[in-house]
Amino acid sequence: MRHAEPKLPDRHPTVTDAPDGAEVRSIVLAEYWPVLLFIGVATGLGLVLLAIGMLVGPRRPEPEKLAPYECGFEAFEDARMRFDVRYYLLAILFIIFDLEIAFLFPWAVVFEKIGMVALIEMALFLLLLVIGFAYVWKKGALEWE
Amino acid sequence: MIDPNLFQLICFYAFGVVTVGAALAVITLKNSVHAVLALVLTFFSTACIWLLAEAEFLAIALIVVYVGAVMVLFLFVVMMLDIKQEQVREGFIRYLPVGIVVALVMLVEMLALIGVRAMQAIPMGANPAAAAGMSNTAWLGTALYTQYLLPFEIAALILTVGVVAAVALTLRQRADRRHESASQQVRVNARDRVRIVKMAAEQPARTTAQPQQPGDQEAKP
Amino acid sequence: MGEQILNQLVWPIIYILCIAVPLILAVAMFVYWERKVIGWMHVRMGPNKIGPLGLLQAFADVVKLLIKEVILPSSANRFLYYLAPLLALVPAFAAWAVIPFGERMVLSNANAGVLYLLAMTSLGVYGIILAGWASNSRYALLGAMRSAAQVISYELAMGLCLVCVLVLAGSLNLTDIVHAQAGGKGFLDWFWLPLLPVFVIYFISGVAETNRAPFDVAEGESEIVAGFHVEYSGSAFAIFFLAEYANMILVSFLASVLFLGGWLSPFQGWITADVSPWVNWIWTGGFIWLFIKAFLFAFMFLWFRASFPRYRYDQIMRLGWKVFIPIAIAWVLVAGCMKYFGWVSIGTGV
Repeated sequence: MRHAEPKLPDRHPTVTDAPDGAEVRSIVLAEYWPVLLFIGVATGLGLVLLAIGMLVGPRRPEPEKLAPYECGFEAFEDARMRFDVRYYLLAILFIIFDLEIAFLFPWAVVFEKIGMVALIEMALFLLLLVIGFAYVWKKGALEWE
Repeated sequence: MIDPNLFQLICFYAFGVVTVGAALAVITLKNSVHAVLALVLTFFSTACIWLLAEAEFLAIALIVVYVGAVMVLFLFVVMMLDIKQEQVREGFIRYLPVGIVVALVMLVEMLALIGVRAMQAIPMGANPAAAAGMSNTAWLGTALYTQYLLPFEIAALILTVGVVAAVALTLRQRADRRHESASQQVRVNARDRVRIVKMAAEQPARTTAQPQQPGDQEAKP
Repeated sequence: MGEQILNQLVWPIIYILCIAVPLILAVAMFVYWERKVIGWMHVRMGPNKIGPLGLLQAFADVVKLLIKEVILPSSANRFLYYLAPLLALVPAFAAWAVIPFGERMVLSNANAGVLYLLAMTSLGVYGIILAGWASNSRYALLGAMRSAAQVISYELAMGLCLVCVLVLAGSLNLTDIVHAQAGGKGFLDWFWLPLLPVFVIYFISGVAETNRAPFDVAEGESEIVAGFHVEYSGSAFAIFFLAEYANMILVSFLASVLFLGGWLSPFQGWITADVSPWVNWIWTGGFIWLFIKAFLFAFMFLWFRASFPRYRYDQIMRLGWKVFIPIAIAWVLVAGCMKYFGWVSIGTGV
């Protein structure tokens, strides 16, 4: 948590003065460096927890204990099986809609400045999206039994 | 005392090495799930390089779209298709010459296309978004929704075609599917399902009479 | 050189620990609170043996989990089996980097904060899929597939809800989003009012996204035992548990920041008195308000769990695709019109 750091009037300067007076290229790096550090700390935390579990916990392997759990039955065969094609279809639909959401993000930030044109073009974009969606719906791809 | 520009250069090379290493791992690893994860790492470090170039929006959008969505599909496919590893290795040697030719052609094309321009450009030049005094996302949005309006709508059209194609290609209705319509379930009336009938009280049947038909008594409401 | 390392490395890591350590403690207390609340709702006592009022129960559980054996099933893929809990934990924690706890109390004031959050939540599905596949067990794989399909479906609804917020706020930065909700009418200026349907969709999607009841078919203990982490034990299981609860608390904080004005006070603008710094936060706002709001959402998670029976899988998919996504798409345009024609007042900062 960063306290008492004077808020910069312009949030996107090209050049900011680092505390030691050196030239830092941009605030983008300054903001994402802690994020990268956080990812590192979280990874470290996970590794430490796993390591504690493996070092402190006992290790007494037994064939019965290590068998895949199937409510006490012997496992029939390798568990890796083929899945219904609808899972792939769902993943493909997810990609496409995710991409459309990615398009909506910059639009949401700027549409007011651009004005009515942006609103209309996004209405058109969403109309196309809805047509595709309606087709998927009509074909029954969203139905699970 | 590390110069920030030097630090950035170090970061660039570090991420670059990870990207190239992970990309090599994608094509050399035997286990296809490991290969997909290596591809995830490739995308992730590429996103970090884009961040270094201050393409903030594109970098994170790369993670959202490619790592968060496209690679999930890849994972679904390689996990569930259960590809036998030996077959893959055979194919690797057989298609190697073709692969090398394709790679060489692509390399030459890329060099021709961007090499000449890259000679003159400064790597990671000044950030145009910052020069315009707005965030990277806003700058990108302004360009996309004014200058590139038509390509944007065409992209929407292509995505719609993609949706239709995906459904048309993969959806096979099974004959034995039983589907429950939730709206029908909600709209159902108690009167359609249960009928309450008034009837006179009956004496229980004598136990001595016809003991060979026990089902008779249970059938009565 | 020394000073630079201090500024670039030591201080950020201290700030990170200032978020991560309380988060872990919050998870522990949340688990205790969950058992206690559900106990009360079932007219039971809940945990009450270890420590005063059973308060140390969660810590006893942590110690127990850590000293248990981590079983590696014989047919599992060793590398992926250990990687999966890490991939579940890292996004659940890393997402906290951009959460603003108060005015200028934020680790990374990234401009694309909301997009970063969407990226992190979309990475959570890897831990689930890999855990299911690496275990090489039927139950685990079935749970993983169900869960993955459910998570990606509700992520779309969530993404569209985020777009609605962005449309009104006009920025991807979370601090800006909170500022855009400031105004003279207190809680009536927050985004929950103009975005009411989206607000409801967002929170319910959050419940589905974290695989909590009533959307917990992935766990479905009566059919597939525990879902994707059925083969995990000891500390590897503890990591999945930590990630799940950290995600629940994250959704609670996000719902507060995006729709309930973050650290803003519900009485902002009603009272302007200057009594003392100890009391002023009640109407000027402060991180305590954020914690109160997040606590309410976190409580709703438990309330849902104690109240609702589990959904059927086809009902879950129907709700996500055929109810939430169409409403959210429509509301994107409604929000656009609201903003464009000035039907809502947007704050510009305090």
